[in-house]
Amino acid sequence: MRLVVTHLVGAAMRRSMGMIGVLVRRGCMLRFERIGEDVSRQLWIAALVTLAVCALSGPAFGKDLPSVKIGAAGPFTGDLSKIGLDSLNAIRMAVDEANAEGGVAGRKIEIVVGDDAGDPARAVTVADKFAMDRSVLGVIGPMNSGAVNAALPTYQRAGLVIISQSATNPSLTERGYSVMHRICPRDDAQGPAAARFIAEELGAKTVYVIDDKGAYGQGLGDQVAAALEKAGVKVGRGQITPEDRDFSPILTKVKAAAPDLLYLALPNPAQAAALIKQAVGLGLRPKLMGGDGLKERDQLIAGAGGAAEGMYVTAIGRDIKDVPEAQKFIKAFEGKYGAMSIFSGQSYEATKLLIDAMRKAAGSDPLALTRASVLQAVHRTQGYRGILGFPISFDSKGDVLGASIYVFQVKGGDFVQVKEYPAWAR
Amino acid sequence: MEEMLAQLPQQVVNGLTLGSVYALLALGYSMVYGILKMLNFAHGDVLMVGAFTGWGILQLFAGSGSLTANPLIVVALMLVAAVASTGLLGGLIERFAYRPLRTSSRLAPLISALGVSIIIENVAMLLTGGRAKAYQTEMLIPPTWTIQAGGATVSATRLAIFASSIAIMLALDFAVSRTMLGKAMRAVSEDLDAAEYMGVRTSRVIAATFVMGSALAGVAGVMIGLYYMQVDFIMGFSAGLKAFTSAVLGGIGNVRGAMAGGIVLGLAESLGVLFVAPVYKDAIVFSVLIAALIAKPSGLLGERVRDRV
Repeated sequence: MRLVVTHLVGAAMRRSMGMIGVLVRRGCMLRFERIGEDVSRQLWIAALVTLAVCALSGPAFGKDLPSVKIGAAGPFTGDLSKIGLDSLNAIRMAVDEANAEGGVAGRKIEIVVGDDAGDPARAVTVADKFAMDRSVLGVIGPMNSGAVNAALPTYQRAGLVIISQSATNPSLTERGYSVMHRICPRDDAQGPAAARFIAEELGAKTVYVIDDKGAYGQGLGDQVAAALEKAGVKVGRGQITPEDRDFSPILTKVKAAAPDLLYLALPNPAQAAALIKQAVGLGLRPKLMGGDGLKERDQLIAGAGGAAEGMYVTAIGRDIKDVPEAQKFIKAFEGKYGAMSIFSGQSYEATKLLIDAMRKAAGSDPLALTRASVLQAVHRTQGYRGILGFPISFDSKGDVLGASIYVFQVKGGDFVQVKEYPAWAR
Repeated sequence: MEEMLAQLPQQVVNGLTLGSVYALLALGYSMVYGILKMLNFAHGDVLMVGAFTGWGILQLFAGSGSLTANPLIVVALMLVAAVASTGLLGGLIERFAYRPLRTSSRLAPLISALGVSIIIENVAMLLTGGRAKAYQTEMLIPPTWTIQAGGATVSATRLAIFASSIAIMLALDFAVSRTMLGKAMRAVSEDLDAAEYMGVRTSRVIAATFVMGSALAGVAGVMIGLYYMQVDFIMGFSAGLKAFTSAVLGGIGNVRGAMAGGIVLGLAESLGVLFVAPVYKDAIVFSVLIAALIAKPSGLLGERVRDRV
């Protein structure tokens, strides 16, 4: 028995050591490439493989034209990885479709993945990586406001256009960075819309707002609280941290304040689900509302085990299930990757929009594609019609025009749209 | 002021629940320190493994919206599985990461412990995809089962956690002070070499201590899962820190001190937010620790260590 166990453990350790070895070697290779040591052999092999693949399958891309690259930045690991990976899949779909149509002026499109785990510091590293790769001509993401905020200066220096599908903090487009674009309305549209719904439709007199001190959470919480106070609603504030798992202390404060409604300005639906469940254990049952980050079926509704029933969330995009143009996308996505999550449609749209802009920038001359020409083309986008159900244009700051804020309610294990507020034109 | 008073009973209940879980975790931490004079940084991660084991068992029985077996049986199975997995893990860690370093300098096992902690965390991250998993506590104990007592809402979950923690602590206290194994543990803790000469099989006692301490962390893991209703791969870090703080606060190496330290810490964390924002609850915890150590360096129930000549 002891022998067997020792053997098994030994084998497991050897295997993991082997894996570590492989990883280390791979890391070294990457490093060598970066500092420009002799990697010609690998390059030759890569070129041969690429040639073979091109010759054997798919549309014929220009033989001597290098491919263009799109960076995908987002939280592909960590707390927010579910949302991030569903977005990445949508980006992949958009790129695959574009490649099937012949890419950009005969050049194949490739995706470079940059995982920032939602962490601002890592978002800067990702931005550096994209900036250094000269064939990256545009970036989808980063997804989190904090990540965009940290990485923006790097993207600006590189002249690399970014289109965020989900970063809603107002300040991001107020800092004068020309590379910044987003296809979601800002929190200074979302917050007031939520406040209007709370005051007018729900008739709440006292509201308690909890945020997580992050760029998104605190920003949205501030917007909601300010708009509520303007509407004459009494507001209490409290904060947690993204690492918190025990919410009893703050929930006890909420209980003492006895609000009509508890507003959760949190980016992490799993954390919100735990908070809601713990509130029930304290005998606390106020009305609940949250921002767009919480509109995530698996983690919020299923994660809260029924306790989220009746909760309201705002969303920065229509439920694309109701948009006729989106049906083909939804069917294809769900057939390939399973249920969509909140930003899948927006990620697909942003990618298609970027590719469309690249094609316009290239015109008939594929070598006219530069970071500057792509940035110009994205910025000049007028009335792009994709799958979101409204024509997309950007204002001078890079904010999207024509979007609306939608209010959804959790009913019977899914989100049902109950209200639409146009995001005002600035 | 009125609002503070209104919160007071509930925060006391919060503190006692949390404190009893911390105490359970601190016991294992303190036992290992008491015997080897070594800070086991991987203790919190063992808790995380226990929590995930419990979650796995719960998933086996969780159909859509209801359980397929009696909740009591499920909880019992969760605890048994968690104890088995963390006990085994503790034994393995001791055998492969700490025993080979027992005779080396004090620093080596400390670094080894940090390494073990990082390995466990990363393996858990890979296995879980880095995502938090929901504990369907509501399936085991309906959240509506609550008692109103003196302005506080006490849920059945909290009562169960508190009661079983106290029971386990008392059992352990009995085991350490009355059984042969407990006697051997205390002997090894007092003087390892002398105990060896007196015929105590020290290696076995040390291994048993690790297994017991880790098993307690497993129980604490399931309880923390039931209480927080969510588990994730990183939870061990903060739990380990709290265990360390409780153990030091109570007088490290002392079983009853660990219990007291855990409960005091839980209460400090909950009651502290009456005066400052909840964001600072961890800061409160460490302020309490520093204050206590300045006032009584050996910890609440610790004895003054006499210099051995």
